[in-house]
Amino acid sequence: MKKLIAGAALALMALTGTAQADGHNYPDRPIMMMVSYGAGGATDFQARIVTMTAGNEDALGMPIAIINKPGAGGRVGWNWFATQAEADGYTLGAYNVPHFIAQSIKGGVDYSTDSFEPIANWGADPAVFVVAANSDMNSMADVIDFAKANPGKLTFSGAGLFVGHHIAALQLEKAAGVKLAYIPNKKGGAGAMKAVIAGDVMGGVNNLSDAFRAQAAGTVKILGVFDVARNDFLPDVPTMMEQGYDIDNASVNFRGVMVPKGTPQAVIDKLAATVPEMFKNGRVAGKMKAGGSPMHIMTREEVQAMWAKRQETLTTLLEGL
Amino acid sequence: MTRWQHIIPPAVLTLVGLWVCYVSYTSEPAAAFLFPRIVATVFAVLAVWGLASAVLGDGSGNQGISAQMFRNMLPGIVVGAIYIFWAAKGLGFYTATALSTFVLVALYDPAPHNRLWTWGKRFAITAVFVAVMYLLFSVLLNVYTPKEKLF
Amino acid sequence: MEFLAWFGPVFEPWSMMLLLIGTIGGLILGATPGLSPTMAVALAIPFTFRMEPVHGLILLGALYTSTVAGGAVSAILLKIPGAPANIATTLDGHTMAARGEGRRALQLSFISSLIGGVIGVFLLIWLTPVLAQWALAFGPSQLFWLAIVGVTVIATLDSKSVVKGLLAGCVGMWLGTIGFDDIIGAQRFIFHPSLSGGIHIIPALIGLFAIPQVISMFAKGRTASDLQSAATPRDALSAQASGVLGAGLGWISSIGASFVEVFKYGRSLSIGTLVGSIVGLIPGVGGQIAGLVAYDQSRNFSKEREKFGTGHPEGIISAESANNAMVGPSLVPLLTLSIPGSPTAAVLLGGLIIHGIFPGPDIFTFHPNVVWPFINSMLLGQVLMCFFGIIIAGMVAKIVKVHHSTMAAVVLALALFGSYSVQLSMNDVFIMLCLGTGMYFLERWGYSAAPLVLGLILGPIAEGNFVEGATIAAAQNGVFEYFLRGTMNKVLIALALASIAYAVWISRRTQAHGGQS
Repeated sequence: MKKLIAGAALALMALTGTAQADGHNYPDRPIMMMVSYGAGGATDFQARIVTMTAGNEDALGMPIAIINKPGAGGRVGWNWFATQAEADGYTLGAYNVPHFIAQSIKGGVDYSTDSFEPIANWGADPAVFVVAANSDMNSMADVIDFAKANPGKLTFSGAGLFVGHHIAALQLEKAAGVKLAYIPNKKGGAGAMKAVIAGDVMGGVNNLSDAFRAQAAGTVKILGVFDVARNDFLPDVPTMMEQGYDIDNASVNFRGVMVPKGTPQAVIDKLAATVPEMFKNGRVAGKMKAGGSPMHIMTREEVQAMWAKRQETLTTLLEGL
Repeated sequence: MTRWQHIIPPAVLTLVGLWVCYVSYTSEPAAAFLFPRIVATVFAVLAVWGLASAVLGDGSGNQGISAQMFRNMLPGIVVGAIYIFWAAKGLGFYTATALSTFVLVALYDPAPHNRLWTWGKRFAITAVFVAVMYLLFSVLLNVYTPKEKLF
Repeated sequence: MEFLAWFGPVFEPWSMMLLLIGTIGGLILGATPGLSPTMAVALAIPFTFRMEPVHGLILLGALYTSTVAGGAVSAILLKIPGAPANIATTLDGHTMAARGEGRRALQLSFISSLIGGVIGVFLLIWLTPVLAQWALAFGPSQLFWLAIVGVTVIATLDSKSVVKGLLAGCVGMWLGTIGFDDIIGAQRFIFHPSLSGGIHIIPALIGLFAIPQVISMFAKGRTASDLQSAATPRDALSAQASGVLGAGLGWISSIGASFVEVFKYGRSLSIGTLVGSIVGLIPGVGGQIAGLVAYDQSRNFSKEREKFGTGHPEGIISAESANNAMVGPSLVPLLTLSIPGSPTAAVLLGGLIIHGIFPGPDIFTFHPNVVWPFINSMLLGQVLMCFFGIIIAGMVAKIVKVHHSTMAAVVLALALFGSYSVQLSMNDVFIMLCLGTGMYFLERWGYSAAPLVLGLILGPIAEGNFVEGATIAAAQNGVFEYFLRGTMNKVLIALALASIAYAVWISRRTQAHGGQS
């Protein structure tokens, strides 16, 4: 009996299995997108917004479902994506740069920039330095003065080790020539922000989008932006460079879509042509703006260049750590 | 056998406990294994304690498994393991569920095997259950299930 | 009383329809194993994109309320807790259902959910500013001690002996460390590739509770059901009443009896509500352990302590009033400080932000037209949830009378679906089956799944907060100073010590008692 079923199954597979994804009829079923952070986090929330129009006829024509695989600063999700995800074009992933590149340089994971094929970038979220609303510190100079007087005693939170916030923290230590106490939070950006608001730590590095909302709610002050230029959301907050610290945009959190290596070229081409257009949809832009999330759309070629450049800067920065 | 059965679980737990201890005290980086070391130590001590009291005859809460029970459950476990470890992904969720439900109902339903209506009833149970699952998960909620060619 | 002024938007036809859809849909989703409140709310968020903010939030509020309560259905009838909140419900709820009193168990559960839930929402309405400060008082050191207090509960929770309870708790804590370590990213105890993602709590819950159930049904072999003839007095009463009218009367009288019963055990109801609302406030810990802590406490204070675990109403009442009482207060840190206290609250935060509403101390001033209807919808949702819950209870309670051959197959398939759907991963399904099979054999020798699950939940909380606290302390005055200073720390340490002393005292007493008989 079982043999018969197995035989029938094989025959059926042979009949239908030849319908390979060649780009013409792709996609013919719903697509899934893996986010390696928990539901409700900044990456998850933005991923849900930018994919909401995927089902439209002028986009992919099929909906994209978000699936969360959180853990260990994204390592769990990206490890799964590099080693177990099917490279058939129906499994997309969200990337966070510099996180996954820094983690792959540090080692202990099964992925690197060579494991993934970028499709398009949707957002760039710079890191900012925040302190609680009732803190005495009002500028980066106050922060660094305190750190100079009390080496290693300035506690400040961030989303984890070898993520954008940690990169920013390392850059700050290097540029200001001080020793700080970086406290990685296992609950990510939200947990790190809570530690600042509750006074568990004296300050923190966090996402601009989350800090913008927290400042609007009156719970934190933003002292500086880890980027090369001021941000449209925070025109009054100076960059680190303006305050005299030589820090570039290496920690800016780029978020976008990728597929595993080995995905058919036709599928990659189709996605690379469609997805950036999908991000440009007016409704997407409106929802992103309402949420305080800066958009930054980049095509596949631009992302490839950006990945290569980040790989270089981060290798230098993380040397000897 | 039945007299000594109750020693098996604490013995297995002791072995696991000692292994966990060994791994957490020897692995690097040590900083990541600080908490596992505390847990492993308490785990191993409690497991040895549990083993000792089991050997000395503490029988609190022991129900044991009779040979008859073991014979009863074995086919079910085998079918369940095939269903979960292979069929669900190999055949597709709904096909595998239909097969496993039908086989399990046939295995454990006390109705006589040599009557036609028994088999009709078993078939009906399977069909209704799979239909309800399909309608709820696939049509109504549109959630993912392990998929292969035979849906 | 400002909230009364904002009932208008909730009573608009379109809002009422969303409220109904949210409530009924939430009950069904909550009752489906694997679709936890967090997933249900996340699934619904895309639908709210196109709605007015106020309508979107009414839908989400109703969904949150009713999925938490709906989780009790599978916990009671199938012994599959849909979410950690429902673990304690299985202990007495399923035992009662297995006796043939499924309808009574469900009615008790929905009625206590309603009462706990309504009180919880009123706390949210009246005490938000005070409670927000309370939630912030829990830093790393306090959360660490809180987890330790939870661990000491393990010793007395549903176990036949203190050593077996603690040992199961340790196994759970060890299982919780498997996978990538959260801070450094080191791999721990990954002795099989399936474990590289760690052990997710939902598949573990399903495996540890449902699979032993399935195997013990297999162990019965080809025997006739032992429930076929066993009719309970109350079910027999309704069966005797002939005709539709009679059956209806029997049904109504059974609801009345359940209401009376809930209030008869007022002590458990108040303990559950109190513990649920206090614990629910604490970010990151509350929702998962509220039910278990309430269950344990109400047993400590009960006059019929030994009946817990045998299908005793107090067990259901305390657990279910606690896990719905937690819903309202768990939103306090979210609404006033933008700090999501639970995974579900984190998803709700996304739902708010998408509509351009940033939670913060001024939210009630800036967005009263959205926040108050949202809160009111949860209030009304509780009532609708109880109403529809009781109707559904009448229809589905007979499930437990299904023969064990069918039941085993159905539970197995639902366990597979539930553990798969959390992360769309077969690895989770394999882990679910392996843990569950192991648990069956452990259960036959007096070990219990509840302390193991509690260890699995609390281990990572204790570890994470200890590591975070220790890193902060290293930059300040040292670890001992950091973890021992402050009133809250001292109170929590005292609680932990008291709980251990109590466990020792109880086990001595039981031994002495056992010696006499």
